[in-house]
Amino acid sequence: MEAGALMAAMGPHPASSFQPAVAGEAYTDAEVMLRVKAGDESAFDYLVQKYRRPLVSFMYRMARNTAAAEDLAQEVFLRVYRSRQTYEASAKFTTWLYRIATNLAVNHARDTRHERPEVTVSLDEPDEETGTTLDVPDSKSTAEEFLVRRERMLAIRAKVEALPERQKLAVIMHKYQQMDYKQIADVLKLSESATKSLLFRAYETLREQLKEFV
Amino acid sequence: MMPDLASGLMEVTPGIRSHLAGCVACAGKMEGFRQTMALLDEWKAPEPSPYFDVRLQARLREEMAKPQAGWLSWFRRPVLAAALTVLLGVGVGLFFTKGGGRYGSADNVVAVIDSTEPGSAVGDLQALEKNHDLYADFDLLDDLEVQHDVVANP
Ligand SMILES: [Zn+2]
Repeated sequence: MEAGALMAAMGPHPASSFQPAVAGEAYTDAEVMLRVKAGDESAFDYLVQKYRRPLVSFMYRMARNTAAAEDLAQEVFLRVYRSRQTYEASAKFTTWLYRIATNLAVNHARDTRHERPEVTVSLDEPDEETGTTLDVPDSKSTAEEFLVRRERMLAIRAKVEALPERQKLAVIMHKYQQMDYKQIADVLKLSESATKSLLFRAYETLREQLKEFV
Repeated sequence: MMPDLASGLMEVTPGIRSHLAGCVACAGKMEGFRQTMALLDEWKAPEPSPYFDVRLQARLREEMAKPQAGWLSWFRRPVLAAALTVLLGVGVGLFFTKGGGRYGSADNVVAVIDSTEPGSAVGDLQALEKNHDLYADFDLLDDLEVQHDVVANP
């Protein structure tokens, strides 16, 4: 498949020629990745479409801003593509994917440790800092409520960010990526019981530190 | 596990339910976790911007324009890897000899870089280097110390 054809299929409204399920037979992502390895680039497009949103949100919570998150998520896809020839279906695809993502995110966090993110407060634009578009307040009371909510969101983010690295990773994968213990354990190269206790300590800390906001 | 129970990820069995009904300590803790989980839900992540797809396309196009080869199988075979090393050594030797001067002329350098075709020794080494950063990164997770977590958050 020509690069151009792949690109054509990669627009915002892609018409991927790859069918993940044919005649009731569903492919696992590992099988799809093996097709990428074999040169089927529509299979790669399928994986991009499936994981672009989860990866951007994962990176958004790991990095400090939206632009960095998108850049890092793109880098994950580039590394997946780059290493397609050496891919072995021995591990679950998502484990492999999140291991790449985790390494990039941890590296990025270390490189930008001392940078403070820009804080922009705007009531009618998407909030750079929290990443959300809060409803435009139409009265004084809702404006106050908006600020309270925003304050709370920044506190949540700060408390998650302040967790030790592995606890933070575990919480983000568990709470926001809906991954189970087994998957998280595989990504972090820990036992399931170690992962459970890691998560438990993290949630205990968050429960304690976010008390004032509940 | 309580955070799982509190967020509905785990089913509350009749046994757990009856314990919570009779145990103030556990019921209180459970409610605390439920509120914490609800609070964490407020932290939303943005959708990928339209720019995300455009930029990814551009970066992939760049990636695809690069030469690629099935290089790894070579390095899995020690004899071939050794032979390749020798050949590369000879090639470098020839290059420096032909260049006359110690580093050769600028023209020769360009010629060598231009001959980077898939499957060539130089192309393979470039591919190897390119892939190396992916695997080097994989060791990073091993550096994260459990001990650190325990100390920071007993
Ligand atoms: Zn109890």
